[in-house]
Amino acid sequence: MVSWSELSVFALPALALWAVAAVLSLLGKRQRMVCALAICGLLVFGTYIALMWLSLERPPLRTMGETRLWYSFFLPLVGLLTYSRWHYRWVLSFSTLLSAVFICINILKSEIHDKALMPALQSPWFAPHVIIYMFAYATTGTAMLLALWQLLRGQDQMNAIDNLTRVGLSFLTIGMLFGALWAKEAWGTYWSWDPKETWAAATWLCYLVYVHWRRCCPLALRPALLWQIVCFLCLQMCWWGINYLPSAQGVSVHTYGG
Amino acid sequence: MWSKPLGMTEGSLVCAALVAAGLVLQFLVGPVQWDSMACPINLLVLFFLLFGIVVMHLCRSKVRLFRWMATLQAGVPAMVTCAMMTVLMGVTRQVPSGQTPVDIFGITAMLSFWPFVLTYLWLVLLVGMVCMTRLRLLWRNIPFLLNHLGLFIALVAGTLGNADMQRLRMMVQEGKTEWRAVDARHKVHELPIAIELHDFTIEEQPKLSFVSDVTVYTKGGIVVRDTIRVNKPMEVKGWKIYQYSYDEAKGSMSDISIFELVRDPWLPYVYLGIFMMLAGAGTGLIGKGEKEKRINGKLE
Repeated sequence: MVSWSELSVFALPALALWAVAAVLSLLGKRQRMVCALAICGLLVFGTYIALMWLSLERPPLRTMGETRLWYSFFLPLVGLLTYSRWHYRWVLSFSTLLSAVFICINILKSEIHDKALMPALQSPWFAPHVIIYMFAYATTGTAMLLALWQLLRGQDQMNAIDNLTRVGLSFLTIGMLFGALWAKEAWGTYWSWDPKETWAAATWLCYLVYVHWRRCCPLALRPALLWQIVCFLCLQMCWWGINYLPSAQGVSVHTYGG
Repeated sequence: MWSKPLGMTEGSLVCAALVAAGLVLQFLVGPVQWDSMACPINLLVLFFLLFGIVVMHLCRSKVRLFRWMATLQAGVPAMVTCAMMTVLMGVTRQVPSGQTPVDIFGITAMLSFWPFVLTYLWLVLLVGMVCMTRLRLLWRNIPFLLNHLGLFIALVAGTLGNADMQRLRMMVQEGKTEWRAVDARHKVHELPIAIELHDFTIEEQPKLSFVSDVTVYTKGGIVVRDTIRVNKPMEVKGWKIYQYSYDEAKGSMSDISIFELVRDPWLPYVYLGIFMMLAGAGTGLIGKGEKEKRINGKLE
């Protein structure tokens, strides 16, 4: 059976397949070939997760290292879905790069593989909640980068920004509501306005403003692009900023040690 | 201003007026008293909210203001104001829920801060109004209704139902039957259900587990015998009964068991709203983008 030491045997070929798919899509090669390569990569990496599952005799969701496996798997999957949906050539490079970061952490930082999650996080909701949020962060982050690009260079990216924001907002909604369902099960209340939840609500409202603004004033581009930056700042506050925010110290169930 | 057509300036002015009115109210009557929202007041509020929305919707052809309330020009400033209020809440240290604020304005208890409550109420009202305009079962209305009506239901049920949620502790001795429980403020409540504890045991194999063997009686004459364990609550007549604690000094010899009883009658509606929003987010992922719609529209 497999263990962590076999990770690179599976992860590096998978990464290579994704990288080739990303380069071919950048060069504008045939979509079918790009998708086939990306799917092969997913199969290789998925096999490793399945084998880990079998050898651990439990779903690999318990430790930080195990959840990173899932990020590394889902990022290229979602990248592929976005690519086949909207044909953005750059999206596979982006998802492959992010996935590579998580795979490298898992290969290099072997000492934290078995660091157990705290009991509150040992829930079947944990992985979907976090993975969905990670993907939302990735798509909305890309939207903000494109907004900056357009503000500075004047190149029209509105279509991509709108689509990414829409997908990101859908994932933010799902992640937030999964969090609510999880909280109900774990703490008995679905929403307790803990600092992380407050910032998640603020972020969600900001992206709602963006989406509605685009419908209401589709020609007012500059305010929309600047608002993307506001949204992104809220998101950063929600993601890691609250760990440093004086008003959130010691009262959030979402800050774990450190 | 206020001349045809009503636009975003008026939307911003309404929000500014609501914040100002909220501040005045805060100084005159103090923080919002959510406890007084318990049944039947919340049902009354719900009735007036829905009634108001329906009446305003029906009068929309005569009253410009009501027509405008269902537009983006009214909605966007409301969303911006709510976002600002929420950010304000995020940067101020909040007192635990139910306590009085420790600052002069009341922003340390943001959920009871009138400007916060009024701006959210305004947003909910606008969402309700816009739902009315799309309340016909057409395919193209479904994602819209899942998103907007789902949010309306979840927010209204969550807010109005909060005061009806009961979370009580009940201590029962082996061989005795108990029907009284205490809330967080140590107030005793007599319940419509009673618990008889036959036996409390601590199982150590295969996994550490606390088990209460109980019979639950209800006023309607229902009798249920079952075991309650940690993570395996029992549900009787809308009450969820959790294994909470035992006499820890006596350990496995404990002859008492402490239960937590939770009742949240509005929960099914909150869940309905949440699942509608989840479905709405799902349709957002598989649905077509704006540009695609426009292009397809032209081609067709």
